[in-house]
Order: sequence, then C-alpha cells, then structure tokens
Amino acid sequence: MASLRDIRKRIRSVKNTRQITKAMKMVSAAKLRKAQDAILAARPYATMLDQIIADLSARSGDENLTHPLLAARPVKKVELVLLTSDRGLAGGFNSNVIRRANRFLYENTALESIRLATVGRKGNDFFRNRGQAIRKDFGGLYQRLNYRSAADVAGELVASYLNGEVDAVHIVYNEFVSAIAQKVTVTQLLPLQTLGAEGKAPPVEGATTLVDFKYEPDRQAVLNRLVPQAVNIKLYRALLESVASEHGARMSAMENATSNASDMIGSLTLTYNRTRQAVITKELMEIVSGAEALK
Amino acid sequence: MAKLTVEIVTPEKRILSVQADEAIVPGGLGLFGVRPGHTPFLSLMEPGPLTLIDAGRRESYFVAGGFVEVGNDKVLVLADAAEPVAGIDVEGARRRMAEAQERMKGLSAEDARFELEQATVRREAARIGAAGMPRG
Repeated sequence: MASLRDIRKRIRSVKNTRQITKAMKMVSAAKLRKAQDAILAARPYATMLDQIIADLSARSGDENLTHPLLAARPVKKVELVLLTSDRGLAGGFNSNVIRRANRFLYENTALESIRLATVGRKGNDFFRNRGQAIRKDFGGLYQRLNYRSAADVAGELVASYLNGEVDAVHIVYNEFVSAIAQKVTVTQLLPLQTLGAEGKAPPVEGATTLVDFKYEPDRQAVLNRLVPQAVNIKLYRALLESVASEHGARMSAMENATSNASDMIGSLTLTYNRTRQAVITKELMEIVSGAEALK
Repeated sequence: MAKLTVEIVTPEKRILSVQADEAIVPGGLGLFGVRPGHTPFLSLMEPGPLTLIDAGRRESYFVAGGFVEVGNDKVLVLADAAEPVAGIDVEGARRRMAEAQERMKGLSAEDARFELEQATVRREAARIGAAGMPRG
C-alpha cells in the first residue's frame, strides 16, 4: 500500500493539475467570447453580400451570369484544406477534422489526385508524420487572423483553381454550433456554389420594379469583383467558426478535466484518511499490546 | 424631407449605421452623390473618401474599395475596410506605401504580385488623401 507521504504527494500533484485545467478553461471561455463576437460582427457583411448576389442573380433574367469561379468543370484533381488548431488539449476538436479528412481521402480514391493543404499545426503534424505530402501549410494564420489574411489564403486557392492545378477545393472544419457543440463539416469552396447550384434565387420583393437597375461600370465588372469576394468571405467565416469551435471544445475538455481532477482528489483524500486511520489504529494496538505484555 | 439610411459594413464588423441627407461615395467611375430618391443601382467602389452630409454637417470616412448598393433610400456600403478620417494613421500609410513601392521595383509588370502592390499603393495614397477631408 502506498505510504501516507506518497498519497499526499499525489494529491498535491492532482491539485496542481486541476489548477491548470481550471485556468485553461477560464482562458478558453474568454477567448470563446471574443471569437463569438467576431462571428457576429462578420455576419452583417456576409448577409448583405449574399443578398446582393441573390438580387443580381434574380435580376439577371434569362441571361446567364458567368464567372470562372462559378463554372464547374469535370473534377479530377481536388484540394482539401484542413482547418485545425495550433494547439491541442481541445478534446476531439482536431482528431475529428483529421478523421473526416481521412474519410474524404478514402471515399474519393477514384479521383486522379487529392492534394492537402493545412491551416493550423495539428493537421499539418498529423499528415506529415504519416508521410503524406502536404502541398502547402498556411502556418501562423491564427496569430493574425483577420479578413485580409483570410483573403490572402483564399487568393492563393483561387489562383491554383484558375490555372487548372485543381478542379475543386473543399474545406473541412469544425462548424460552430454552440459553446459545447461543434459539427465537422466538409464544404466546397471552389467552384463557388452560391449561384450555380441553387439556381436562380427567388425574386426578391420589389425586384420587378428594378428592371432598369443600373450597374457601374457594368454588370460583369461588378460580378467579377463580387464572386472572389464571396469566396474570401466564405473562407473567412469558416476560419472564424473554426476558431470559436476550438475554444468551445477546449473549454469543455478542460471543464471535464477539472471535474475529473476533483473526483480524483476526492477519492485520493478518502484513501489518505483511511490509511491515516489505519496507521493510528495500528500504533494504538501496538502500544496497548505492549502495555498488556508488561503486566 | 426623406433621409437616407447609410450603412457601412466591413467583413470584420459593422462600422456605421446612420441617417443622412446625402452621401458622396467614391464609385468605380469617380465620386458620386446619393440623395433620397436616387435610382437603384449597384456600383463598385474605389479606395477613397466617403462623405456623409447630415443637416449641413459633413463627416468623412475612408473606405478601401468594395461595393455600394443604392435602393429605397438605403445606401449599403460593403467596404473591404473602413475607418473615420480622424483615425487615419498617415505615418503608417506613408510607410506602407513606401514599402509597397520598394517591393514593386523588384517585380516585373506581369507578375501577379505587381498588381497587388500597385493596389496597395493606390489604397494608401487614397487613405492619405482622405486624411485631409473635413472631420465633421
């Protein structure tokens, strides 16, 4: 049986761990709040952009809106972008993304090639350790995550789509459902599906009165700017969701760790007290029997 | 008199949502003014100063390009970035412009990055210009 000193040491160590997990939980909660605010703040722009694109598509009548980023072509080469975090200790946050990415690889073996790109250290580490080629690692993006840096990444992806290196780009990430729930999602970033797949958006109220709607300089020029913007926004939002999910996942992981530590301290304390009592009893018995022997 | 509702949003946050009598927007083909009753349209926006006039008071913002949609007395400004002119860091803008010009020297005009740097120079020049606008 462990000596009293050993148990005491153990309790102290678990208490220290609990202190750390508790602090990490608190930090994650604060970061989660910030990340959620960022999601909310990004919403008006995204909604309005969607609205403008929907309006544009509704007003276009029978004319087809064409843009290279909307045109789907036979898919042979695909790029999969993993959004993971730089740090671990976030429960299943990273492994869920990695597992989903692996499934994607197995399901699509018919394709000519699937390239991988990663945002976040964890996904990069995993595939590198398994000897899988990673085309590009967008490292350090989380340290300066803003719209501009997301747009740079999106621009890179768009360029490789436009020059024919890949025929489609998918992203796999944790969608933010709530502070304690994340949903791993695979979504197609390129070609953009906003206009193509869903067809024409239903006419918006008042759209009929806007027959002589004007565009400056002209409709195609506006579209040429709108579409890449929509791609940027889509990636930016996925990144924001991923960050919020990361903090949410870490918060609940640390919450669990803290309560596990508390349970452990409880049972260790019980053992400690029992052992202590046993030692006292043993000593008493020794004294009593020693005294008896002298009689 | 009817008023315009002006909203400026960027991908990162909503900058502003106010009522105004008139908005002067840096459109793709130059500055244009919007007053209530303006015909609906959708325009590209260049980096430049966006001025709101309300009850004779002028207030200017710098917008870094994007889109503007006008309709039903609403002006929706979707800017890549925006800030009040009073908050412009002229020194920082000068520095970024000089850096971009420096990088451009090493690039050929065909390089894709050349265009990016050129856009930076244009944007920062517009930002410096906007800093001189009335501050409301």
